[in-house]
Amino acid sequence: MNWFSWLSTFFTDPDRLHGPDSIVHRVGEHLILTGEALGLAIVLAVPLGLLLGYTGRAAALVTALTGAARALPTLGLVTLAVLLAGVGDTAVLVPLVALAAPVLLVAACEGVRGTDPDLRDAARGIGLTHPQVLWQVCVPWALPALLAGLRTAAVQVIATATVAAYVGLGGLGRYVVDGLATKDFPQTLGGALLVVLLAVATQLLFAALNRFALPAGLRRR
Amino acid sequence: MIRFDGAGKRHPDGTIAVEGLDLTVPAGRTTVLVGPSGCGKTTILRMVNRMVEPTSGRVLLDGTDVAQLEAAKLRRGIGYVIQQAGLFPHRKVLDNIATVPYLLGWDRKRARTRAMEMLELVGLAPETGKRYPYQLSGGQQQRVGVARALAADPPLLLMDEPFSAVDPVVRAGLQEELLRLQSELNKTVLFVTHDIEEAVRLGDQIVVLREHGRIGQVADPATLLNAPADEQVSAFLGRDRGLRGLALRPAAGIPLVPHAEPFEGWTLTVDEHGRPSGWQRAAASETVRQVAVFQPGVDTLRTALDSAVLSPARAAVAVDGDGRVLGLAPRAAVLDALDAAGPQAAALTDEAAWEAAEAAGEPAGIPADRVPDPGQEPGQDPGSAPDPDSDPAPDPAPSGSGAGHGR
Repeated sequence: MNWFSWLSTFFTDPDRLHGPDSIVHRVGEHLILTGEALGLAIVLAVPLGLLLGYTGRAAALVTALTGAARALPTLGLVTLAVLLAGVGDTAVLVPLVALAAPVLLVAACEGVRGTDPDLRDAARGIGLTHPQVLWQVCVPWALPALLAGLRTAAVQVIATATVAAYVGLGGLGRYVVDGLATKDFPQTLGGALLVVLLAVATQLLFAALNRFALPAGLRRR
Repeated sequence: MIRFDGAGKRHPDGTIAVEGLDLTVPAGRTTVLVGPSGCGKTTILRMVNRMVEPTSGRVLLDGTDVAQLEAAKLRRGIGYVIQQAGLFPHRKVLDNIATVPYLLGWDRKRARTRAMEMLELVGLAPETGKRYPYQLSGGQQQRVGVARALAADPPLLLMDEPFSAVDPVVRAGLQEELLRLQSELNKTVLFVTHDIEEAVRLGDQIVVLREHGRIGQVADPATLLNAPADEQVSAFLGRDRGLRGLALRPAAGIPLVPHAEPFEGWTLTVDEHGRPSGWQRAAASETVRQVAVFQPGVDTLRTALDSAVLSPARAAVAVDGDGRVLGLAPRAAVLDALDAAGPQAAALTDEAAWEAAEAAGEPAGIPADRVPDPGQEPGQDPGSAPDPDSDPAPDPAPSGSGAGHGR
């Protein structure tokens, strides 16, 4: 048995095409979980990061705290969340958000903080209020950094969302965990490959966003 | 009109940026703050639009203490141009120019129409409006910066070293453009620079500053160059202030000799249009191709002197508006013209000199941007400048060919 035959075994299994254990269904679960985690992280971290970056306050603190947050072991967090909240979506979302939020916080904060001081000065000088400067000048300026942060966060969450399977939830982690449990290595390998493909696809999506969704003046800097 | 009334700025750490400053910036004129770096000139400028809040004294804008006005609202009524243009990188040029009209709540169409007009006013092609700032040269960006400052038609412009970051050729072009704009618009301009040359070129009133915003001298350019208040001001003006003062006086009334005959052994050759093509020495087959010329009544004594100095025949070459040779002005004649209105006769105002040029029947007129303002008398107290409203507007089409004088 080699890896290729394992993979063909995995991808030709009728269960992969239909039903709750189908690839489409598992990818859907995985993406929904990722989306929920990212959405929560964005809501929690981005506005705060923009504000901290604009005021310039606590910027060093933000960097230090987020550095520490990245060192948190995901599996440990999952276990802790299960102990505190019981098995369920929350138990998985907590560690995923904890993974994504610091990345986004730093991206937003540093992106805004990096706004050309002359530009901010000119904007103030011609009569923009502070909220207008933040929204019309600093946020556009921070968009490339935000997009980069979002990409990093998304890829990390996609890779890590496999832990959902440990607490009995769906997603691509099911293949990996179930495959290991039943020594069904084609399934484990296939699941892992799917996670990698999904992460790569996400990278490509963000590269395209970076290319086409940013105003021209922001891409060339 | 802006009045600084004992306005000072002390930083929280105790260092003094500006000590109590008393200064009047007359309406409708260009006042230039000039001084070495660290003299507080930018701080003074920024007190006007509350980018810096004075820690003592007041800044009055048309009689109202700016501290009583809402900062953002105040600033929307004041044009602001800085060294690095400060354009929004994510907005097209037209939208950059329309920024303040948008802030003032103009509808989109009106704001963009106005922005188009501004684009034209500062000498940029209409299609420039569709580009992004990064696609423009530094000089073009500065023009857009000026257009943005003018878009809402503010009576006051604050310009903080706006032309310092561009190369000298572009800078000279931008300065010309500002002079032209100002002759049309008559804004109250407060301009900061460290370049005394620029100050003399642009200012109706020049304020020479020392450390902590202390005033060294307030004067019009001619008075400043001819009669510096003291050693320090004189040193700041540089060693060739006498020569530079010539740039403020018209090359007029210099007697010319015919150019058909050789002068001091050199013959001026002309092309089929009558324009100078070179100097040729009769005896040897020696030629000088580049001919420095001046246009009587339009160019300054400095240009005439330059032409005389560069000429191998020791005679300046006078040309008309189309570049056709009018005659030669021997060095001696040019030097005599310096005496006609010598430095000590600074009392002979620009106005009188330019009028003399006209009366002398010089073929060329006075360019619009050089029309002397009757309100500007050297030595006059800057604080008592007449109300611009009562000022007769300079004649836009002086006699002669001045109106067609394009730069």
